[in-house]
Formats: sequence, structure tokens, C-alpha cells
Amino acid sequence: MSDAVSSLSSNKSFSTLFSLALRLLWRDWQGGEIRLLFIALVMAVTSVTGIALFTDRLEKALLLESANMLAADRVLGSGRQPPQEILLEAESLGLRTARTLSFTSMAFSDTGNMLVAAKAVSDAYPLRGEVIIADQPFIRGAPIVSGPPPGEVWLESRALPALGIDVGDSVFVGEAELTVSKIIIAEPDRQQGGMMDNAGPRLMLNMADVEQTNVVQLGSRVSYRYLFAGEELETLDSFSEWIAEQYEGEYRIRDVRDESEEISDALNKAESFLLLGSLFAVLLAGVAIALTAKRYSERHYDYVAILKTFGCTSNEIGVIYLAIQSVLVFVSIVFGCLLGWLVHHVILRLLEAVITVDLPAAGYQPFVIGSLTAVICLLSFALPPLLALRATSPLRVLRKDLDQQKFGANVPYAFGILGTIFLVYWYSQDFILTTVLVSSVAAIALFLSVLSYFLLRSSSSVGMKAGSAWKLAMTAARRRRKQNVLQVMVFSVTIMSLLILTLLRTDLIDDWQSQLPENTPNHFMMNITQSQIDGIETFFSENDVQSNAFYPLISARVISVNGEIPEPEDELGADDERSSITEDAQSNEEGGSLYDQARSELDSTTANASTEEGEADAEQGQVRGRLGRRQVTWADELPRDNLITNGDWWGEGAAPGYVSIEDDYAGWLDIEIGDRVEFEINQQTVFAEVSSFRSVRWDNMQPNFFIIFSPGTIDHLGATFISTALMESDQKILLNDLVRLFPTMVVIEIDALIEQVQNIIAQVTSAIELISVLVLVCGALVLLACVNATLDERFHENAILRTLGAGKRLILSSLLIEFASIGALAGIIATVGAEASLYYLQEQVFEQEFNLHYWVWIAGPLLGMVLIAGLGMNSTREVVSTSPLNVLRRVV
Amino acid sequence: MIRIENLTKSVDTSEGLLTILDSVSLNIDEGQAVAIVGASGSGKSTLLGLMAGLDKATSGDVVLDGNSLNAMDEEQRAILRGKLVGFVFQSFQLLPSLTALENVMLPIELKGDSAASEKAKNLLARVGLEERGHHYPNQLSGGEQQRVAIARAFATEARILFADEPTGNLDTATGAKIVELLFDLNREFSTTLVLVTHDERLAQKCDRIVRLVAGEVVSDKETSARQGEVASV
Repeated sequence: MSDAVSSLSSNKSFSTLFSLALRLLWRDWQGGEIRLLFIALVMAVTSVTGIALFTDRLEKALLLESANMLAADRVLGSGRQPPQEILLEAESLGLRTARTLSFTSMAFSDTGNMLVAAKAVSDAYPLRGEVIIADQPFIRGAPIVSGPPPGEVWLESRALPALGIDVGDSVFVGEAELTVSKIIIAEPDRQQGGMMDNAGPRLMLNMADVEQTNVVQLGSRVSYRYLFAGEELETLDSFSEWIAEQYEGEYRIRDVRDESEEISDALNKAESFLLLGSLFAVLLAGVAIALTAKRYSERHYDYVAILKTFGCTSNEIGVIYLAIQSVLVFVSIVFGCLLGWLVHHVILRLLEAVITVDLPAAGYQPFVIGSLTAVICLLSFALPPLLALRATSPLRVLRKDLDQQKFGANVPYAFGILGTIFLVYWYSQDFILTTVLVSSVAAIALFLSVLSYFLLRSSSSVGMKAGSAWKLAMTAARRRRKQNVLQVMVFSVTIMSLLILTLLRTDLIDDWQSQLPENTPNHFMMNITQSQIDGIETFFSENDVQSNAFYPLISARVISVNGEIPEPEDELGADDERSSITEDAQSNEEGGSLYDQARSELDSTTANASTEEGEADAEQGQVRGRLGRRQVTWADELPRDNLITNGDWWGEGAAPGYVSIEDDYAGWLDIEIGDRVEFEINQQTVFAEVSSFRSVRWDNMQPNFFIIFSPGTIDHLGATFISTALMESDQKILLNDLVRLFPTMVVIEIDALIEQVQNIIAQVTSAIELISVLVLVCGALVLLACVNATLDERFHENAILRTLGAGKRLILSSLLIEFASIGALAGIIATVGAEASLYYLQEQVFEQEFNLHYWVWIAGPLLGMVLIAGLGMNSTREVVSTSPLNVLRRVV
Repeated sequence: MIRIENLTKSVDTSEGLLTILDSVSLNIDEGQAVAIVGASGSGKSTLLGLMAGLDKATSGDVVLDGNSLNAMDEEQRAILRGKLVGFVFQSFQLLPSLTALENVMLPIELKGDSAASEKAKNLLARVGLEERGHHYPNQLSGGEQQRVAIARAFATEARILFADEPTGNLDTATGAKIVELLFDLNREFSTTLVLVTHDERLAQKCDRIVRLVAGEVVSDKETSARQGEVASV
């Protein structure tokens, strides 16, 4: 006997099994069985490859464009000359280096003189981006990757009429006579020098000529900048680390994200969104794969049973289905990568107008990521139910009702969950995000399943009282409660993902657009005296320039609250320190951002901003030092983008003696509404009662204040004024006249910065739109897969009903009601889930204010109802159009 | 050819242990045609499943051509089925995505036989379906599907053929033709036939009828057909 058993060995060759697998695959394809699985796989690969290609290239491009703002990848700035060894170290690491030196100086010609923002550049300047120069003032110009040669200067257009010279004439900068050889139209790092670079029109000269000018002396107010660029991010990072270690904070390397809050904010949010979008896309495609694979394997139980009766072993079944999967995944990868490549090209085509830089070529990595996603998706979502086929009992050929093996029931879910966690971690490379996302989805899934279970249970008793189509639909929903709970869960999570992404996208874009609307003022005017206001307003109205309110500006310090010196424990949060152009902060670092520069400049330009710590005792001085001086104002009306969070804003004709405080600042100082606060302003003591707290939008590029007094409180203490204006590029020449008419006024030009920010925002907005569409497609796929998952049973049941005499109308209405109810339920749950998730995402990840989206509470359930009913009816309409006998024969 | 020793099959149900087959013992000689008859739920199909090695007995053993199924795992039983056994089912069990010809070719191919197509075409011709080879099962009538299934069952020249209610899904006239075909081929290939049915007329065509009631063999008799055959010899 044992001999007989041991002689049993399978003689089926691999090629026999493989050719059988191919034949089954081909037949399944022709019959439509495997098409949805294939499409889901292709979608997963397409969306991941497309998004990866796009983000990879766009991010490189954005960084490149952003780097153009610095004229380098990294910058080191200082008020005194940094050691030469820093440049040597950078060069030894293979980085390219350049130097700039900014200072303000008078430029003289035979016919005139004016204050210019001089910038000396070394020969290698700029390391990134281009300088735009022209032969004549006020024309478009052409790019060049260098600064002026020794002996020559380049001047901004508006300096020429002011100096009364032409291209080719000479100007004196200090003691040096230099020839004006070109007109400078734009430079990449125009905004990075702060006040020093914004004090007048640009005069660019060669570094070699600086000594000859004799302008820069010991103690001169200058700004040195060392620029660095390299192709390897690692080298740049290790160089930054070397600086940090070597100079222990004395010098700090900055990149574009440190330089511009607005751009880094937009980039970070866009990255978070793209990451979230691609995660959703993969997960939804994964769910679609899981659902279609499960259905596919269910339909193959009979196949396997028959093959087993013909002598196929479990291992051979495994080989056959593994071969089917391998071929499927291979073809999906080929198609997916191709489509992904096309998709990313379509995106780039769409964005041609806004992507102004040449995109670096795509690497192979996005394709690897896409391909691996297909393999991982298949391994975790599809392979388990397919491998479970191995365990199918051959007895099924005799007893079709035989329960499918237990293995198939739960293991696939476990694999799916593990695969999901792996994918989320792999994409985000962020352990905390993975934990948060996975645990919240798990919690939502659990909650949803419990909720939908109970809702479906109760729905049956409601439905029984209605007409027969209702009764039919509701009893059907109840009978399939287990599958329906799963369906509602999948529908809810899918609709929820779509709602989250759509709402987040809308809010992000709205937020950005409101931050920098079309007519955002692009020039700040400071140090204006009361007597100049009328003249400036007349000048603007005569020249058709849109001007805005004039805010008084005065330096103040909090001394005590209700008679006690405040003792805040922590430093003021980073967000609050960021503050706005009008605010006084501690940053005196040269080469800092425009705002830092403006703030430090304000310290010196605002009247009476003296430091008095020496006069007070040491302890008090320390506290005062920390409390710091703030630029304050008074106003009748609440400034734009300010919201009262507590108390009341004074109306017109308000009594003096009140103050409104920014809410975080009030919290920091532990101030309550009604508190009496003592201020020191221009060496005088002022008391005011706190009447309101305000939230302030610091990033709107408007004058913003921590402290606003009611009119009449501090008006007599003497203040200068600040205002903003919107000047188009063709109006910039007016600046010459303006500065000549009001010589004490300081103008800060931020038009280039605003344009760059708007450009980058436009790009990321388009990217976000497209990702949303991709996720929508994945979502639709899941919905379709999920409807199809229970199709067989519905077909069978309805065929029997028709055989028993049920009319088309009854069956169609009952199907419609069943699908619509499930859809509406899923829509309600999705809306609740989406709002809850958005609360977390907006508050924690995107730093946005969360508001309930009221229209979604109607649109969500409606969307669920229409979508599911539409998809369901579309898939099941065959039930009534095919003869019952055919349906029964097909599913038997 | 088939030896069944004290075969018992029990399953756990919510109401306790249910014995479907109770100590069944049988011997079936090579070339013999045996009908297993009984009412619904008497255990006929369970017995067929155990004899064909599709399921495992709770106790007792089935020995097919000297191979004890009890001593084998599912993998070994599958290989044994591939070598020894053919099937005809009540619901035909054709693979819907394969054509009639491909369905017949499948077991031949699985044996690694390169002449699968030729052999399958011959068999289809033998069952009168040479013109329908490229039709899919849903394009064939019930009788035609069962003829394809019969052709497939004989395709590997199996030595034992198990048939489970082969006429159960067919009308009387078609059923009669199918039975005729089945027995003709059985004789032609000298196959041992085990046939589960509750159709007495069909059972009478076999050499022997084993009757089951509630999982037990209550009678095991040679039929008149067999007796007549013996008498004529």
C-alpha cells in the first residue's frame, strides 16, 4: 500500500499549468471577470506613478524656482564678514560659492544724486536663477547668469531718469567712478536683502570694485551674504551641519523655507495634500483590488473544485493562480506605468503656463514606486483570497452549498490591513502620521460598522410598513445585512475620502486666495509724518494708484497688568514671533527675511525706540527685555483680516482709554477682558482697559498689530504713519517722484515677492486639483467594485423573483430603494466622518481654522444616494433585460 | 477495484453529532456498474464523495485499486484521482469560460498529454458534438452539456467513473439518450462505474443496486440486467 502511495506523484509540468493559467486568464478577460481587477491594479499603478512622477519633478522644479529667490540653494548672512574658511570648506565639499555685499549709498551723476540699494556681487553670482538685464530702461530685458564685470554697474530703470543719465554714462559710488553698462530689470534674490535692498533702486556692481568706493568702513551698516549651491542635497545638509557645529549658532545656513514663510507654508501644505491624496488613491485602489479579487476568487471556487477532481493538487492550484496573478500584475505595471507617464505629461501640459522653469528629467524611482505598489497591493489585498482557493474542497462539485473554507474568511483582511499600514508608512515615511491615520481609519471603520449594523437592523421594521417595493428592498437589505454593513463601510470610507479631499482642496485654495487676493498692496510706505498724509494721498489719486488706510505707528511696551509685572513663563510661540511687517520682534540677524529686516529697520527708524533696560533694576530689566517693545496703533475701524474673539470692538466715536489685544499675545501675558494695562510709550505712562481680544491673520502682507488703542488714547504721544499701496509694474517709475517729494519716507517694495508667491500658489493649486481628480477616479472604481461584489446574489434572487411573476417595475424600484438607502446611509456616515477628520487635519496638519461645511450635510447624503443608486442600477439593469432562465443558468 | 471498509461519516451540527454514513462496507469489482440508490438525505452523495476521495471519512477506509485513501493526504488523493478517476455530475460542472472542446481537453492536458486536442475532438465526435466544439457551455442545451461532461469523463481513460445523478437535470427523453451514451462508453472503455441516482429505471441498467436508508446499506442486489447477462453467458 505504502508503495502505491509513494508512487503517486504529479506529472503536470510547469508549462502545462502555466498555459492553463494563461488560458483561464484570457477567458476571464473575455468574459469580463478579471477586467475590474485589472483596471483597479492599473489605476493603483497609474495614480501612484503619475503622482510620484509629477510631484518628483514639480518638487524639484519648485525647489529650483524657490532657490532662484535666493540665487542659491543655501545662504549664510551676517552683518559682519564671515570667515573665509567657510567658503573654503564649501568648495572642498564640491559646492559652488558666491558672495554678495549689500549696503545703502548715494549715487552721484553730473546732474543728480539719489539713495540706491547697492549690491556688490562676486563673479560666480548668481548660483541659481538669472539676472534679467536690458540695454534700455523700462523694457523687458533678457536673462544672463552673471553680475556686472569690474568697472561697470547695472542700474534699475527708475534710477536713470532720477540721476539724469543714460546707458553708457558714468556714476560715482563713493569714490569710484563706474560706467552704467546695462539696465537691471530683475534679479533672483532681490527681496532677500531686506530693508538694505529695498531702500532705493538697485545698483549692482562687481565685488572687486567695492574697495575702490571706500564706502564700506568698519562699523558700516552692511549685509554680507555667502551663497552656496550643489547638486546633492546630502552635501548641502552636511555642510549646514558643519556650520552649525563649527560656529555654534553664530552663523546659520538658511534655505528658501527659512527665507519665505509664505512659500514654505504653501509648499508644506501642498506636499501634505499630495501625500494625503496619493495615500487615498492607493488605499482606494487597494480596496477596489481587494473587493474585485474577493469576487474573482469566489467565482473560481467551482473551477478549483473541478480542477481538483481532475487531479490538480493544492500546490498546483497555487501555481496556476500565482501565474495568473503574476501575468496580471506584470501587464498592469506596464500599462499603469505608461498611463502614469501620460497622466503626468497631461498635468504638465495643463500647467505649462504656470510652470516657468525647465523641469528636471524624471528619474526611475517613480516607476519603481508604482510597480512596487502593484506588487504590494496584490500581495496584501488580492493574493490571500486567491491563495485561499487552494484550500477549496473538491467535494464542492457535489455540494455547491458547501461553506467555503474558514481560511478565506478573515486572513485576507489581516493581510489587507498589514499591507495598508505598510503602504501608508512607505509613502509617508512618517511613523506618527502612519499611527494617526491607521488608528483613526480603524476607529472610524469600527464605529461605522457598529452604526450601520444597527441602522440597517432598524430599517427593516420601518420598511415593512411601506409599499411592496419598499418591503422588498428593506427585507433584502436586512437579509444581506452582513454584506451591506461591509458595503456601507466601504462606501462611507470612499465617499468620506472624496469629501475630505474636496473640502480640504477648496479650503486650502480659498485660504491662499484670500491670503493674497488679486489687488494685494505690493508696496509699504513707512516713516510718514502726519503732515505728509494729505500730500501722499493727493499724489496717489493724481497718478491713479490705489492707496489704503494710514495707520499710526508708535513703539510701546507693556509695564504692568492690574498693577503687577507680567511674568510669562514661555517664550512667545513661533507663529506669534513671526508677526507682521509692522511688528517689533527680537530678530536682529542680518540676512534674515524681509520681515525680520523690516522689523529691525523699524527699530532704528521709529522715533524714540530707545532701550531703557539700563535705567531700571536688573530684574525688572530682564522681564522688560522679554516683554519687548511692540509697534502699536490706534484705529476707529477693525482692520481687515482681524476678528474679535472676545469682548467688543469700539464703534465710531469711541471713548479713549481702551485697548484691543491680539488673543495669543493676551494669553501669553495672562491678560483678561477688563484688565487695566500700563504701557510705556515715548517715556510716558499710559493706562488702558482691555475691551477686546482679536485674532490676526499675520500672513496677509498687511499692517498688523498686537495692540490697538481706541482713538484719543495715545494720539498726543507723537507717531509716524504706515500705509500700503498697489502699484503695477508700469507705475514703479512714480517711486522716484514719491521719494523725492517725501524724502523721509521709507518705501518697501514687495511686488516681486508677492508675484513669486502667487505664482507658486497657482502651481500647487493646479497640482492639487489634478490629484483630487485622480482620487475621484479611484473612488469611483471602489464604488463600482463594491456594487459588483454582491451582484451575483442580487442577480440570482431577482431572477427567481421574476420567475415567480414579479414585474420589472417592482424589481427595479426595490433595487433602486435598496441602493439609494445604502447610499444615503453611507453618505450620512461619510459626512460625519469627513467633518471629524477635517477638524483634525485642518487644525493639526494644515494649520487652518476649521469651520463646519453646512452644504456638505445635504450634499454628502445626496451624493451617496445618487452615486450608489446610479452605479447599482447601471450594474443590475441586466436583471430585468435578460431572461430569468439565462440568469439562473448563468449563476447556477 | 473499490473496497469500502466500515465507512462512517459524521458531522458536527448545532443539534449534536449527525451520522450521515454508518459503517458502510462494500466491494466493487473491476468493470462492474453499481447504482447507489436511496431517498434524499440517505447519504448517497456522501458515499460517492468518500469513494472518489473528494472528502475524508470519520472512520473506516476506502481502497481504490489497492490505494488506501485513509492513508493519503488531499494532495495524494488529488494525484490518485487524476490517474484513476473520472466524474459525471448532475449539474454538468463544465468550466463556463472554456469551450466544449477545451473542457474535454482540460483533464488530458493536466495529464501532460500533448495529443489533447486530437483526443478531445475524437471524444466529442463520439458523443455526437463534433460540430459544437467551439461553443461555450451557456450556448449548449442541458443534454449537450452533459454529453460534453461525459466526453470529458472518459477523456483520461479513467478506470473508475463516478456519476452523480447524471440525468437529474435533464428531461426524460434526453436523459434516456445520455444514459445510453454513458453505458455504451462504459462498456467500450471497460470502466468501473459507480452511479448515484434515485431513478430506479436507470439503476436497473447497472449490474448491482446498493440501497441506502439513513446512511446504512439496507440491500445490495444484482439487477435483472446482470442476471440476464449471466444467464446468457
